[in-house]
Amino acid sequence: MLIDINAYIGHWPFRQLQYNTCSGMLQHMNRFGTDVAVVSNINGIFYQNVQTANEELAQQLKANTLFAKRFIPFAVINPIYAGWKNDLTTSIKKLGMRGIRLYPQYHDYEITDPACVELVTMARDQGIPVAFTMRMVDSRERSWLDIDLVSGTAKPEWNLKNILPIIKQVPDAQYMVLNFANNPALTDEELAIVKKTNLLFDTSGRSITKMADFLTKFGNEKFAFGTHAPFLDYLTGLLRIDSLEEAEAGAPVREQLRWGNAKKMLGL
Amino acid sequence: MTKGMLTSAGMMLGVGSFANQEAADAVQRSDDHDPFAAKNRAGYDIMKELKKYKKIDAHCHVYLFDGGPESNIAMADRLQIDKMVVSRPIYEETAGRPDEFIAFNNLVVKAMKAYPDRFIGQFTCNPIFQQESLEEIKRCVDLGMCGLKVYTQKKISDPLFYPIIEKMIDLKMIIHMHAQCQLGVGGYRMKYDTGIRPQTSIPEDFIAAAKRYPEAMFQYAHIGGGGDWEYACKSFVGYPNIYVDSSGSNNPEHMVDFAVQQLGVTRVLYGTDNCYYQSVGKLLASNLPVADLKKVFFDNYNAILKKSGRHVN
Repeated sequence: MLIDINAYIGHWPFRQLQYNTCSGMLQHMNRFGTDVAVVSNINGIFYQNVQTANEELAQQLKANTLFAKRFIPFAVINPIYAGWKNDLTTSIKKLGMRGIRLYPQYHDYEITDPACVELVTMARDQGIPVAFTMRMVDSRERSWLDIDLVSGTAKPEWNLKNILPIIKQVPDAQYMVLNFANNPALTDEELAIVKKTNLLFDTSGRSITKMADFLTKFGNEKFAFGTHAPFLDYLTGLLRIDSLEEAEAGAPVREQLRWGNAKKMLGL
Repeated sequence: MTKGMLTSAGMMLGVGSFANQEAADAVQRSDDHDPFAAKNRAGYDIMKELKKYKKIDAHCHVYLFDGGPESNIAMADRLQIDKMVVSRPIYEETAGRPDEFIAFNNLVVKAMKAYPDRFIGQFTCNPIFQQESLEEIKRCVDLGMCGLKVYTQKKISDPLFYPIIEKMIDLKMIIHMHAQCQLGVGGYRMKYDTGIRPQTSIPEDFIAAAKRYPEAMFQYAHIGGGGDWEYACKSFVGYPNIYVDSSGSNNPEHMVDFAVQQLGVTRVLYGTDNCYYQSVGKLLASNLPVADLKKVFFDNYNAILKKSGRHVN
């Protein structure tokens, strides 16, 4: 069993993506043995009215009965845009979305904006996960039209510390932190917060240089297979798990990472 | 996000919308795959796939990102990397004096002695200290090292590099230069100036050097190092003496396929830059046939080593 908690369909305006439809992604999943993938529509990052992107995803998922079995859709919600509460309700109740992904960097709000806190609180109350992505692409390859958070400058990309403020405000929500990039260092107090939060990191991000060290630091229950496909190659996130040695993670732990932790948070 | 970005991105997204694309989807509707049925849990065995390929890592460092060479070897063993071409460039933004680069080269020699079957050592130098650099190259070649690794002290196209490039031509060894293709770095679209390492070599600098010295071999470092790999690969189409290595912390889908499409399979080299998981993942996930993967993983770099008689058997 293999569950990918970090996949997308849709278009990235700055570079052509491959297999970025449900059918294309499914063919890729079949090639590499993935059973289920959590997907969102990339277009939601760019549309001002993000709900149209959620509707697009829902429409594409209806095109084939197989898609409903293999994809778990997450809605993209912008809590500072008109009608977002209706968007959330519609996405969950009518479109079949099972969680939400938020993009403060792209939708231009602070992670502790009262509207974001309210949204995360609502997600908590409905028992659905909230996902934040540290970055969509490496800023070194960014387009001149992309956001201007650039590593090595006074306005850097996000790291884990940028996500902690919302966790502190709504500590009992369920979180996914995707594409783990940049400095993973935390104070002991911050690490303790992460450890006691119901939170999953996916395994796609570049910061995970030695998987075993990250398992030791954060705990086996904090990681789940993720690809960040179709932005990143499909296999690196899997290699981080499957190349673990027996002494680092026995078969039960590897299964936990491949699908068990994801299944638990997704309520499958 | 800027106003200009919203306008332009919105226009592009409008064109790219896929609202009616389901009609074009080609998945078999008759497939009744149940993801939770035990019979459907057969998986892809990535560790088995790894074993298919001998590997020479064309871009790796010792005593830099991983600490001592034991850490390199541990990851190489984990991912079945046979040989690593290792260097210790002048990464720090110091004067890069001869005593510094000699000390770094000595660290590489130390690593080579500790793991003679695993490491192929590359030397470094600083063209600002041209005579000392030439002397150091001779010393290092005599110690069994093979190939030059240089960083951001001067651009590869700088005249200070000319005698060094000529020496490398004589030795029939590759010149492996740090590279980037990022907005506001090294002369590329400087209206976005990042202030990062102004002497970084960009694709245009490689082209200038490759045109002046068509008999030299240049290695454009890490197309997965975060920059615009499409720009870099397209730049090098007409320059057969520029190779690219696939290393770097970035593992964009399609990058390796694109590089091979643009440059031909023999000019793409496998490398890690100490980013081990990504280095293998991006190749195995590509659409290259097994024969081409074997070239990228091993044969291409071995052919370069063979020119100086220092290839792997």
